[in-house]
Amino acid sequence: MKRVLITGISGGQGQLVAQHLLTAGRGKYKVFGVDRKPWPGRPREIKMTVADVRQRKFEDVIRQTQPDTILHLASVRHFRVHPAVRHEVNVVGTKKLIEFAIDHGVGQIIINSSSYVYGALPDNPYYMDESFPLSVTRTYAEVRDLAEMDMVATASSWRYPDLAIAVMRPVNVLGPHVRSAIGKYLRREYVPTVIGFDPMLQFIHEDDLARAMIAAIDKQVRGPFNIVGSGAIPLHTAIPQLGGTAVPVPEFVLRRIIRTFFQWGLYPFPAGAIDFAKYQCTLDGSRFEETTGFEPKYSLAQIFADAHL
Amino acid sequence: MGAKRTTPKRTRHKKAPTELVPRRRRPSRPKADESGILQTLLDQFTPSVVREVEEEVHARLARIPTQLNEFGYDPWGLDIKAVESAMVVSALLYRYYFRVEVFGIERIPEGQVLLISNHAGQVALDAAMIGAATVLEAEPPRIVRGMGEYWLPTLPFFNEAMTRTGSVVGTPKNCRDLLAAGEAVIAFPEGVRGMNKLFSERYRLQHFGYGFMRLAISTNTPILPIAVVGSEEQAPGLANLKSLARLFGMPAFPITPTFPLLGPLGLLPLPVKYRIYFGEPIHFRGDSDDEDSAIRKKVARVKREIQKMLDRGVAERPSIFY
Repeated sequence: MKRVLITGISGGQGQLVAQHLLTAGRGKYKVFGVDRKPWPGRPREIKMTVADVRQRKFEDVIRQTQPDTILHLASVRHFRVHPAVRHEVNVVGTKKLIEFAIDHGVGQIIINSSSYVYGALPDNPYYMDESFPLSVTRTYAEVRDLAEMDMVATASSWRYPDLAIAVMRPVNVLGPHVRSAIGKYLRREYVPTVIGFDPMLQFIHEDDLARAMIAAIDKQVRGPFNIVGSGAIPLHTAIPQLGGTAVPVPEFVLRRIIRTFFQWGLYPFPAGAIDFAKYQCTLDGSRFEETTGFEPKYSLAQIFADAHL
Repeated sequence: MGAKRTTPKRTRHKKAPTELVPRRRRPSRPKADESGILQTLLDQFTPSVVREVEEEVHARLARIPTQLNEFGYDPWGLDIKAVESAMVVSALLYRYYFRVEVFGIERIPEGQVLLISNHAGQVALDAAMIGAATVLEAEPPRIVRGMGEYWLPTLPFFNEAMTRTGSVVGTPKNCRDLLAAGEAVIAFPEGVRGMNKLFSERYRLQHFGYGFMRLAISTNTPILPIAVVGSEEQAPGLANLKSLARLFGMPAFPITPTFPLLGPLGLLPLPVKYRIYFGEPIHFRGDSDDEDSAIRKKVARVKREIQKMLDRGVAERPSIFY
């Protein structure tokens, strides 16, 4: 029986993976959780502690639960907090997690990064593989902590023979439970886009991502992995699928508006995010699929049907 | 850390869910009763040449297998209806403006192939004409996938147009993936050096990059040399103002007899006659990571083939314009 500790278990993705692990096979996994917020109505089999990755108590959780695997989903993705908090949770938190894991003999860590770390640049090829540099900070400095978290984890992934560290870089996640940046953007009634640009986007269903994470646990994989769903479509085709209306605006106007709106707290993303509405950041997921045999179950149309709230 | 929401909220959008099935593509010849008076009038006044070309392009494209997903896009963003509209314009230029003549088009092999051509004329009409030739004249018809200059995708509308018509940024990864999918990929190793060459340099091939050769060897792809005769006189370059180019963030700023004198209109090419020569496909073997000196020899062979066809074409043609 594998003991799995999920950080950020009360989030949409955390709950999903936990439930998948419980139903995956009777007694195959023992699931523990830790989150800043409680998970009301969680299954009895799951033992969870309310703690923050930044607290001392967090190490106690690892000591007490003695996990074989830590699935690290706790990270701050929104911009409602001071950048220092994002850095402390995402970068320092991940570094400490790795140290604790070594100290307490944890065999495997799976870190949930994101496809965004590659950045949306005009010279991006379609289907970037894991060897591409993480260039997001070139145009989108506000998420530097995410890129740094990924680099810290990827750099350590081959360093410790007894600790397998896998870094998951899933494409845009959609689903009824998970709260993702792309969901927040596409579910607006009026979705701001850039005139003359219509990049291809890839999506993955939250259930498929949960299955991918379990595949990573089972196969004890190491290193960075792109996690890709089925197919890609242009942004302006995706928007009506979620019931929204695209509002194309010339870029110099859009940048100004978004900068101001973001400052005033009226828009959830900084101006740097605009590049993701201009250039594709599409990934080649074959490395993960070949290593683990993972295959996405949901087609694009099914993903949208399910994510349309 | 995430939310504690376990059941999805269902009140965000009051609108009925939009249809999930992608809308049917408009048939190229809509019937009058379903498209209204305006369309009927438009149809009445569409010159018969245009209508013939539209029908021909539609029929030829219908024979090309594409790997479109349920929303009508291929993995590199190609949209067949965008290809069709662009191809109608190209075909009209092909037939009635440049009056293109092709030689040896039956040499295009099946499956993956790398088309390598000379590049000139300030605007990439040579690429468009080769693309039109492979759709209109090749048996079976092919859509060639262009490897675009790195700055093109930064331009609004160009970005969208190039992607939808099947071109991609010319990175090695894109090229490798397209070849692996069995596509015909076109590259211009002269790049901007060729496109913006001066009139005095016409039909003299500029330096060829080596990237295409390494890709051809590593993917075991045949190279098909192509020579385009005519394009090098369509917009005679008198000078290339590098400092202005830098100022506008462009790769080149050409001065021609009409540009920038007549504004954007000055980019219209002269009605030269195009002759496109397709050479024999060449298979190169060896180590794709070989020293530059070894790769250079192979590149020189391709360059020689193209130069030979160019020289012959220029010598044999009765005039630049007919």
